[in-house]
Amino acid sequence: MPFVNLRDFISAIERSGDLARIKKEVDWDMEVGAVSRRVFEQSGPALWFEKIKDYPRGFSILNGPVATWRRVAIALDLDPDSTARQIYAAYEQRREKKLKPAHVKSAPCQENVMNGPEVDIYKLPAPMVHDGDGGRYIGTWDIVVTKDPDSGWTNWGMYRFMTHTRNMLTGWPQATSQLALVMKSKYLPHKKPMPIAVVIGCDPVCHLVATEPYRPGESEVEHAGGIRGCPVDLVQCKTSDLMVPAQAEIVIEGEILPDRIALEGPFGEYPGYRSGTMGEGVLVQITAITHRNNPIITLTTLGIPPDDSSIAASLTAAIAIKRGLKRRGVPVTEVYVPPEGVTHLVVVGVEHGGSQVARQVLDFITARRVMVSKVIVVNKDTDVFDMNQVIHAFATKCHPGRGIILEHYEGRGNALTPCYSADERRRLKGTSAVFDATWPEEWEEETIPVKSSFETTYPDSLKAKVLDNWRSYGLGEKT
Amino acid sequence: MKREYVTFVRRLANLAEGKQVLFIKDLTPGPSKYDTKLVRAELSRSAHTLPNGDTLWIRSETGYLHPQHWTIKILNELPPYVPGEPWQDIFTALKHLD
Repeated sequence: MPFVNLRDFISAIERSGDLARIKKEVDWDMEVGAVSRRVFEQSGPALWFEKIKDYPRGFSILNGPVATWRRVAIALDLDPDSTARQIYAAYEQRREKKLKPAHVKSAPCQENVMNGPEVDIYKLPAPMVHDGDGGRYIGTWDIVVTKDPDSGWTNWGMYRFMTHTRNMLTGWPQATSQLALVMKSKYLPHKKPMPIAVVIGCDPVCHLVATEPYRPGESEVEHAGGIRGCPVDLVQCKTSDLMVPAQAEIVIEGEILPDRIALEGPFGEYPGYRSGTMGEGVLVQITAITHRNNPIITLTTLGIPPDDSSIAASLTAAIAIKRGLKRRGVPVTEVYVPPEGVTHLVVVGVEHGGSQVARQVLDFITARRVMVSKVIVVNKDTDVFDMNQVIHAFATKCHPGRGIILEHYEGRGNALTPCYSADERRRLKGTSAVFDATWPEEWEEETIPVKSSFETTYPDSLKAKVLDNWRSYGLGEKT
Repeated sequence: MKREYVTFVRRLANLAEGKQVLFIKDLTPGPSKYDTKLVRAELSRSAHTLPNGDTLWIRSETGYLHPQHWTIKILNELPPYVPGEPWQDIFTALKHLD
């Protein structure tokens, strides 16, 4: 049964043994982050911090809702022991279906309302996530809702937002994000503020969808409904015409100011570093804060993988890249974004390879904003989900002289790429490389090196005999 | 009692002694900790120069904490923002306020 809110999902992961409740009082000032980070690094359970220092009982924080494949599987109502490949397949299939949202008049997310002078973000236990962050990040595992005023297209994204003052946030949607493109083209020329809603604590699929790089104009909320298998209920914000998930825990309504800025960042980001993005964000004047009774802040204590970002983006970026490559006519078979590569590294399997195909892959990856800096292209005989096979193919088939193709760009690079210099990050200047670990198309079949593996080296009849006799060799059950 | 604040700079070398306009975060414990203020203030590396000043910790753009704190004497508080467009460099905008 699909989850329509965070609380039902919490109950499910508690039943499956994938949640730990922390009843001891913890400090929002780095203690929540430190505990969460350590548990992430042990691939441990989601953590529900039930008592936060300085805040009334009932105001809680949930770290890591989907930071393991098990929890993603549960979120998608699959067998918790599903493999990444099975989860990818289910998500890809469901992504084809869209369901229009339902509009409701009243909503749990508006059980409590702070308006105008009552607005006080410090009434919520926004955590100081890492030592050295620029402030308290209330928006980490969020959904940021904005709208194109001309077309009416509502965009969902996931961007970081921190408390600035009692009634202001600063945030950092990247300057190449869809939010930025709409702000720059539709609001800034008219010096108009852009309505925004930072939504916290929805059902897990809504957040997953917010991480996916859908094309401009696509409705994330319809995809969320399709993937969940039931429409998302939306309610209108109290101070704007934006529609937000009715079952959310917290909604921070506001406006991105067109003519005022303030300090934002730095923040320990998803690549696993605090690499210097600071002071180039947006300023939000909060117009209202609405929340459920006993609100739960969803948090992802970003850092080295695994965490929610590396797992979720592994799924959603891979499916988006696969679709994009297909649209471009690349003979793609499968795409895997290994969580350890934090979306900087992508593995693309192709029906047939060669330098032209590798070039096509690179052209797609670098066409617009570039979040990926390294792509390994492998033949279909390499299982893209098996990094042992991928590393073997990369090490043996990628020609160091002609198998590495580079594309340099400026103005659309990923400012969070740690190996870029401070100057490169500021100028969004970067390079992407494709590592062609496929056999050249022009090689004749009889000259292609033959892989020495059980599957590829022996006649079928002999393999069958060996497998039939496996137990008799004294080797136990064949696996 | 001395209060403690932290400010962020791209590089420590960018911070000068004397009168400055800068964003600071209030480190007073409690639910409003890290609240941001924009202030006109006098800064000094040495506490002796500003005997009634407060403590100012300095972090770089990567969050690196410089081991030696400075002293800050707040002259007046400004609205917590500066004129500028989204995604504009805040430090360039701050310079225009000096």
